[in-house]
Amino acid sequence: MWLPGGPPWYLASPGMLSRRAALVFGLSDFVTATLIVFGVFGALPARWAPVDSVAALLAASKAASSAMLLAAATRAARRGTPVGSTSASDRWAWRLARAGAGFALAVGLFLVSTLALTASWLSGVYGTVGRGGAVVLALAAALVLPYLVVLPAVQLCWFAPKSEVGARG
Amino acid sequence: MSAGTLARGLLAWAVSTVLACAVLHRAFALRIDRDHPSAVVASVWAGGKVVARAVLDSKVDRAPALDAAMQAHPGAMRVDESIVGEGLLWVRPETVFSLSLVAGHDGLAATFDGRTEYLTPDDLLSLQVYEKGIAVPGLGFATGVDVPVVFAALSERFGVSALDLIERARFRRIRTVRSPHSLQAPRVTAETMTKGDVRAAAVAAAEFLARGVDADGKFRYMVDAPGNRTLSGYDWPRHAGATYFLAQMSALTGDPAIVQAALRAANRLRERGLTDCGDHRCVGSDAVTDLGSTALCVIAFVEVARSHLDTSYASIVPSLASFLRSQQRPDGEFMHLYDRNARRPLDVQFLYFSGEASLALSRAHSLLGDPRDLEAASRSLAYLVGPAWSFFGSRYYFGEEHWTCQAMDDLWDRAPDMGALDFCTRWSAFNRKLQLGGADSPFDADGAFGLGPLLVPRLTPAGSRTEAAIATLDAMRRAGLDAREQAALDRQIRRSLALLIRHQFLPGPVHLLADAEAVRGAVPGSEVDWQLRIDYTQHMGSALVRWLSIAKSE
Repeated sequence: MWLPGGPPWYLASPGMLSRRAALVFGLSDFVTATLIVFGVFGALPARWAPVDSVAALLAASKAASSAMLLAAATRAARRGTPVGSTSASDRWAWRLARAGAGFALAVGLFLVSTLALTASWLSGVYGTVGRGGAVVLALAAALVLPYLVVLPAVQLCWFAPKSEVGARG
Repeated sequence: MSAGTLARGLLAWAVSTVLACAVLHRAFALRIDRDHPSAVVASVWAGGKVVARAVLDSKVDRAPALDAAMQAHPGAMRVDESIVGEGLLWVRPETVFSLSLVAGHDGLAATFDGRTEYLTPDDLLSLQVYEKGIAVPGLGFATGVDVPVVFAALSERFGVSALDLIERARFRRIRTVRSPHSLQAPRVTAETMTKGDVRAAAVAAAEFLARGVDADGKFRYMVDAPGNRTLSGYDWPRHAGATYFLAQMSALTGDPAIVQAALRAANRLRERGLTDCGDHRCVGSDAVTDLGSTALCVIAFVEVARSHLDTSYASIVPSLASFLRSQQRPDGEFMHLYDRNARRPLDVQFLYFSGEASLALSRAHSLLGDPRDLEAASRSLAYLVGPAWSFFGSRYYFGEEHWTCQAMDDLWDRAPDMGALDFCTRWSAFNRKLQLGGADSPFDADGAFGLGPLLVPRLTPAGSRTEAAIATLDAMRRAGLDAREQAALDRQIRRSLALLIRHQFLPGPVHLLADAEAVRGAVPGSEVDWQLRIDYTQHMGSALVRWLSIAKSE
C-alpha cells in the first residue's frame, strides 16, 4: 500500500505502539472482519463477484492484521516492552495493520461515495423519498462510516512511520 | 503520511463527493411544468390497444388520423398524455435504465435518425412492464422496468434492432399527465370516505368475483387485466377465502347473482375439495394436506350456513373442526401438516395457518356451540400472543400475520383475552408506523404498507392487515380502551380503505383494458401490476364488510 506523502508501506520504518493500542486495534480489526463476513456473505441475498471478492480480501486482511496485532501485544506483554521495531514479527504486524487500514479506507471512501451518488441519482429520478428513504440511507451510512472510514483513518494516523511521529499510545 | 495530510485528503473527498451528488441530482431531476407541456402524445385506444397516435403541440390541436380512427372504431377513446417534464436517461447499464423510470408516471422518448417515438406511461402500463425488471431473490419481488420488453417495443416502432437503438438512439425520460381527468375515479381519502363509498366498493368487488365463478363453481383464479386473459394456477385456501367473502356479501346484499356464485363455489369445495384425513374430514388431494386449507374451508362453510344461504353446510363443520382440534398440541400450537398415508400429523409450522385455525374453531363454536372448539380456539390464541411471539425484541417487531387478531375479536364475547387485545393493539400500532404517508413516495400510496419509498406498494397487505386492524378496533371499543388509541387506529384503517378504493377498478383506466366491464370491481396487485388474483379482491372485500359492520354499530 502506497499512500501519498509517504514511502511504500513495506519500506516504511515502524513506529512504536503501546500494548494497549495493539490490543485495541487487534480487537477492532477482528470485529470489522467479522462484520464484513456476516454482512456480505450472511446478509446479502445474492452473490456478486465484484462485491464478494473485495469483501473477502478486506475480511482476510483485517483478520490477518487482527491476529498479528494480538500476537504482538501478547509478546510485548511477556517482554514488558511496547510493540516496536525490535522484533521482525512486530514489524510485520505493524505493516500489515497499516496496509489493511489503507485498503479499508480506500474501500470505505469508494463505498460511501457510491452510496451517496446512488442516493442522489435515485432522489433525482424519484423525487421525494420521505422519512423511510432517509432512515435507510442514514442506517447504511452509519454501518459503513465507523468501520471503513473512521477506524481506518485513526489507524493510519496511529500507525504512522517513525519518521513522521514517535511512539503512540 | 501525516495526520494533517490525511485530514486534508478526507476533506477533499467529502467536498468532491457532495458536489458530485448535487450535480448528479440536478442532472436527473425533472423540472415539472404542468401549465406548459412540451408536447402532447394523443392516442386513440380501442379494446385496450392504440389504434392511432399523433404528437401535438397542445391538447386543443386536432389530427385527421385521430379523427379517422375515432370514426372507424366505435367506442374508441382519445387519451392525451401531456409531457410536463423531460430528463436525462441512461440506457446502460441495464440496471440503471431499469430503475430510471418511476413506475406508472414516467415513459421515455427515443430519437433515432431524426425520428422520435414515445413509449408513454400508458404504453408501459398496457405492456405491464413496470416492476418486472430486477428480481430481488429471497424477498420475492421485482422492481424497475422490464428492459428487454421495452426495447422490443421500440424496435418494433422503429423497425431496427435493439442493438442499433442502444448504439445510436438518444433517449429521454418523460413525465406525463393524462387527460381527460374523467378517466380517474373521484379521489377517495380517509377524510372523504363514506359508508356509501365502502358499500359500493364491496358490492363491486363481490360482483367481480361472482362473475368469475363458472358453472362448476371454479373461480377465474388469476386474470391479466389489460388483455382480460385467464392465467393458470389454483389453490383451495384462496378458493375458500373468496367463497367466504361471497357468502358475506350474499348476506349483505341478497343479490341473486352473488348468492348463486357463493353456493356454486361452496359446492365445489364440498364436492371436490374434501377428503379423509384419518378419522376426520379435511381439505386437499395430496398425500400430505395442510391445516390452512381446512381452516379456511370451515370459515367459508360457517359463513354459508349462518347467513342461511344453505344451512346444510353446518353438518359438515363438526368433522372438519375435529380435524383441526386433532392437529393441536398440548401447548396450544397446531401441527400444520397431515400425512394421510401414515395417518399422523407432521409437527411443522407455516405463516398464517395457526391464526386461521384459531378463527375457524371460534366460528365453528359460534355456529354449533361445541365447547371443545371454544377451548381449542382460546388455547391457540393464548399461545399465538404468548409463547409464539416471545423473543428479545418482540415488543419492537411484528410479522404480517393477520388472522390472530380476527380470532381475538371473534372470541371476545365468549372468551375475552386481555393479553391478546394488548398484543393486537401493539401489532396495530407497529403497522401504523410502517404505513406510508402521501409524501413518502412518488406513488399514490397514502395508507399502504410498502417495502420502502422506491417500490410500488402491494395492495393486498393493506387489505389483509386492515381486516385485522378493524377487528382490533372492534374489540378495543367493546373493552372500552383508550379513546386516543381508538382514534389513531380508526384513522389508520380509513387511510388503508381509502387507498384500496382508489385503486379498485371502478372502473379503472378503461382505455387500457380489453374488456373493462369484465374486470370492474377487481383489486389489482398494485398501482402498476394489473394481475388480478382472487385473494387480492377477497382481502379488500372482507375488510370493507368488516368496516361496514362496525360502522353500523356506531
